[in-house]
Amino acid sequence: MKIPAYNTDWAFNAALRGRVARWQRQQLVGAEQRAAIEAAYPLEYYQPAWPLRVGLFVFTCIGLALASGFSLMITGVNSPFGAGILFCAACFVLLEFLIKEQRFYHAGVDNALLYSGLASAAGLIYYAFSEYLWPLRGGYHLDLGASYLVLLLVLALLAAAALRYADALVTAAACLAALLLVALFGLNSQFGQMLLPFIMMAAAGGLLLLYRRLAQRLAGTYLADYYANCLLTLKVLGLVVLYLAGNYLVVREGNAELHHQFTSSQIPFAPVFYALTAGIPLVYIVLGLRRADRTLLLLGLLALAFSLFTLRHYRSLLPPEVAAVAAGVLLTALASALLRALRPARFGLTSLPDDEPRHFNLENLIQAQTAHAPDAPSTGGFEFGGGHSGGGGATGQF
Amino acid sequence: MPAKPSTDLYLADLQRRGLLSPDQAAAIAASESAQPFSLHYELRALLYLGITLLAGGLGVLVYQHIDSLGHGVIIAVIAALMAACFTYAARHRAPFTWAAAPRTSVGADYLLLLSCLLFVVLEGYVQYQYGIFGNRYGLATALPALVFLPLAYYFDHRGVLAMGLTALASWVGLTVAPLAVLTKNEFWNEHIRGAAMALGILFMAVGFYSEHQGRKAHFAFTYLLLGSNLALAALATSLMELGLQEQPALALSYVVVMLALCAGLFWYARRTQSYWFLVLAAGYAYFAVGYVLVEVVILLPHEIVFMTAFLLFPLSALLVVLFFINIRKILHGPTAPPHPPTSSPQA
Repeated sequence: MKIPAYNTDWAFNAALRGRVARWQRQQLVGAEQRAAIEAAYPLEYYQPAWPLRVGLFVFTCIGLALASGFSLMITGVNSPFGAGILFCAACFVLLEFLIKEQRFYHAGVDNALLYSGLASAAGLIYYAFSEYLWPLRGGYHLDLGASYLVLLLVLALLAAAALRYADALVTAAACLAALLLVALFGLNSQFGQMLLPFIMMAAAGGLLLLYRRLAQRLAGTYLADYYANCLLTLKVLGLVVLYLAGNYLVVREGNAELHHQFTSSQIPFAPVFYALTAGIPLVYIVLGLRRADRTLLLLGLLALAFSLFTLRHYRSLLPPEVAAVAAGVLLTALASALLRALRPARFGLTSLPDDEPRHFNLENLIQAQTAHAPDAPSTGGFEFGGGHSGGGGATGQF
Repeated sequence: MPAKPSTDLYLADLQRRGLLSPDQAAAIAASESAQPFSLHYELRALLYLGITLLAGGLGVLVYQHIDSLGHGVIIAVIAALMAACFTYAARHRAPFTWAAAPRTSVGADYLLLLSCLLFVVLEGYVQYQYGIFGNRYGLATALPALVFLPLAYYFDHRGVLAMGLTALASWVGLTVAPLAVLTKNEFWNEHIRGAAMALGILFMAVGFYSEHQGRKAHFAFTYLLLGSNLALAALATSLMELGLQEQPALALSYVVVMLALCAGLFWYARRTQSYWFLVLAAGYAYFAVGYVLVEVVILLPHEIVFMTAFLLFPLSALLVVLFFINIRKILHGPTAPPHPPTSSPQA
């Protein structure tokens, strides 16, 4: 059995067609040539426009909720274990069937089935522990010592599912499970509690390192598009946790929460956290601009906003209305100045939208229009028969 | 972290299949590597944020210093701002047509919207401070409608149209907005419910007329969205209160009207290939049919009620899922791209 559940050509073709559409808007590729390319790289999966995906997801969830009640009914109410196994297995069997036979590709139905299957599997693991293993040790509740194994198993399950189904939410859940595991380790000792922010930052750094390794491994292969969402999730979560773990407000209030203080008090190593709160957003923004990395830039801007909120939370420098006016004047002036200054690109930055035929190049245009656009090869993915050449999002109309 | 996803693989694959000449591939690769990083949307978002902060802060400052400023000054400033925005919009107006007018300037669109908002603010301020309309609130709400609706047609602006329709609806006695219908208004009053139905149906009729006759056909979207939500939500809440057993004739006629309106939305959805209206029509039709089904099931003997419910509701969820899956075929008619019928996924 191959690791990816969906056909990896689907993601590749969709990404390629997106690129070609942009090249056509930039007049690097002619319209006929684009049509030939799109015929050679068909979208043969089923993925409707997003409102429909939401609708499909919601109604599948309703159906699954009723089905879980049904599975409880037919296995007998006194054994939720059997019902759970039945429901979980049914979810995954149906999921695989829909992907293989009906070519569902993140279409709402398959997402709902995947989440329900994973949730029931995780529930089963917890139930098995609480019912059969923990009573022998004399502990029932979710104490820290006993939950490691549960979390590890859930983490393994989620990681395997993320690898197979390349789902962003499952990837996020796996990352959170890993972070929770690390946090529990830290919380268990007095020393670890003190160093918790640094432990979390190290964990986030580990996530980013993992992202980097994976991105380098996948770059230039056909799997890069398949796992694009997962990699993005990994990166965003790593960056967010790295910032939040070093944020003064989070650390101070978390410290107060941990020691059951009613009002938070000054924390040890405060200057370190001042520096991190102020520095990380700036580092993100600068790196984002230098590497043309939009994710990093946007997260940097959001982090900057949160840092300013942190500052105002403890030291209010100006009355709010004056601060708002001053910030408004500053932002308006800065943004409009930059909008004007970057009209022709400078330092590799521009204020023009991405898709415009920015450097109108007659040579490119002629080349694109006269380029030999061969007929689409008759081999290709069509022999599967059937296929729903939908990809409904393409019309962009709801 | 790798800066940009590389396009090498795409170019290589396209060349391998002979769909791209080497020169072109080289040109594309050069263009991609020379492409500057676009900050268009980020800068616009910052600008928007800055203006919002500035406006909010100034508003609070003015509110705090109202005694030293005097009301006349504030009214004059609002009026001047409104006039300036309106003048700019009028300068950049495209000539009138019954079709969608070409966009001449993005700024003019927003400034027209802003001047209309300022008009409402001005009116509210004058009424609050000087009570110019007295207790004739009807006049106060009719005035914006009378101003906005002609402006919407004159300037070809759907946002202003939506504002005008909202003002018209509040003149009739309620606030129309797709979501606020269910949250803000309690349909406590039989009269208000009737008015909402009538107004909603009127809006929908105007929408169908403009779509069918090509008189500002793109306005039909706004008319139908507001009108259908108003009329169908009013009908639905009426149904919930009525009960099929007590007044079968009235309730059934409501159901029929709902289904007829849904059919109209379905027609419009297929005509304009709009998923929104298809989903809207399906949602309200599902409600109407489900209502009748529930009322019928309740009449059954007790033992059967449970079983029927267990059968019917998963079945209805399944039907909705099937509807969504086939929506493309429903929307575009049976002229879907030809595929071998044997293993069609939706067969």
